[in-house]
Amino acid sequence: MRRVLDTVVAVETPEGILLELRPAGLTARAYAFALDWLIRIAIMYAGVLAAAFIGGIGVAFLLILFFALEWFYPVAFELTTSGATPGKRVFGLKVVMDNGLPITPAASVTRNVLRAADFLPFGYGFAIASMLLRSDSKRLGDIAAATLVVHEQRAIPKIMLLKIPPLAPAKPLAPEDQAVLVAFAGRANVLTSERVDELAALAASVSGDAGRSGREVTRRVLGVAQWVLGQR
Amino acid sequence: MMTPLQFEQLYQGDWSELEQNLQDILDPKHADALGHAPPSGDRVGMLYRRACDHLALARARSYPAYMIDRLERMTSQAHQVIYFRRDYGIRQLGHFISHRFPALVRAHAVYVAIAAATFLLPGLVLGFLVYWRPDLILSMVSSETASTFEQMYSASAESIGRTRTASTDWMMFGYYIRNNISVSFQCFAGGLFAGVGSLFFLAYNGAFAGSLAGYLTARGLSSTFFPFVSTHSAFELTAIILSGAAGLRIGHAILAPRRLKRIDSLVQASRETIVLLYGVTAMLLVAAGVEAFWSSARWLPPTVKYTSAWICWAAVLSYFWFQGRRAS
Repeated sequence: MRRVLDTVVAVETPEGILLELRPAGLTARAYAFALDWLIRIAIMYAGVLAAAFIGGIGVAFLLILFFALEWFYPVAFELTTSGATPGKRVFGLKVVMDNGLPITPAASVTRNVLRAADFLPFGYGFAIASMLLRSDSKRLGDIAAATLVVHEQRAIPKIMLLKIPPLAPAKPLAPEDQAVLVAFAGRANVLTSERVDELAALAASVSGDAGRSGREVTRRVLGVAQWVLGQR
Repeated sequence: MMTPLQFEQLYQGDWSELEQNLQDILDPKHADALGHAPPSGDRVGMLYRRACDHLALARARSYPAYMIDRLERMTSQAHQVIYFRRDYGIRQLGHFISHRFPALVRAHAVYVAIAAATFLLPGLVLGFLVYWRPDLILSMVSSETASTFEQMYSASAESIGRTRTASTDWMMFGYYIRNNISVSFQCFAGGLFAGVGSLFFLAYNGAFAGSLAGYLTARGLSSTFFPFVSTHSAFELTAIILSGAAGLRIGHAILAPRRLKRIDSLVQASRETIVLLYGVTAMLLVAAGVEAFWSSARWLPPTVKYTSAWICWAAVLSYFWFQGRRAS
């Protein structure tokens, strides 16, 4: 549905709507991985301390703990409702199937066992190469398991233009033009006022002010946006 | 045309109800604290379908981004909640052991045969070579490692298969689990490189085990080595060969995708073969237990160990050959 230069993956649900997934890139995933790594180190350290107290049988549990942390730490967390390890959760990432569904146990095991391939030749070399080469940033395990690491969506703030009186457009506006105008209004309070004036000047024809610019034109253009939103 | 604000006002109620329900589902403790009744599935499903309609309308009419965004988040969250899989396959475990696993192994018989050959041939060749010229072991391992192995299986060691410094059976159990399962995961994952990785790890591990056996036999330690390895190898060697076979299947799927796209072929093959790896992991857990508590016991006479080895090999092979042939 969007033909702009973007990495968004659109998937269709059985209900016939398109869900937009935003794949997480190498940097975000590397941060999450580093955090998970620290957590694992902390657990291992606690395990070593505990094993030192218990002795022989403690060493057995320690080795099994190392094994479990190495291979199944991500699986355990990915199968919870959040679909993310603690590190991923902190950085707003989660793992889903590439059709947008929650991750299945089999897929989670697949993507984590295949770390053995991603890790090669050293330091997750193939994983990094694969993530950089693909627009959906999948590593080898993700490709085979058909999973995707995505950014959780953040809420877009509601448009606040209450102080500006609505103004009827000077000409009929096509739906796309209305959408552009409303999107502009949505971003108006996060841009500098000079930039808002510049952008408003480009859209000035909607309020019949084509060719003019300035604070007053901006107010009138935003007024049209207010009208398009439904304020009368 | 309905303006965005009219649209929002009209359906506001449905949306907030769905959002509230989703929040209650995702955070049941908080919902209990607030005294909310558990949301009804029918109601959530209906609100979800309604929100999907509204999202489609809002997109088609180019309504403001914040509204589409709200509907998008709501629907994608509901989609995740509604399609979340609650069964972890525990119920299917019995069926898996009695039918699915052995049937799957038989379905991959060709891959299993190739994997077995890749593992056993280098093992046998190197075994005989090293038996003939024991110095050749140094081309596989360093002299320290060789002498450690010799010490482990020497007749004077307190328990077989480990050095005297290592403490208990339990510790070795943990060690075998970690080591063997990691090896088998490598054999599987190597399949992603068109199967070459699986072939390499199979051949390498086969060659290593074979040359070790040849070396220890040449040094006259066969009477401790073979009773030690014979029983647990029934589970361990078969498991490693099976994980290699699963890797080969993946590699084959990449090389020869038939009528599928290469990626889809890979996804399909890994979806089918990961199930093999569940069984392999279980077998390796059994192997680690046997290796740590049975194989290493010095007080058991070799005859008993050889008998148990025959029983285990016969059991494992007939399990894969006969089990689950009749559909349940």
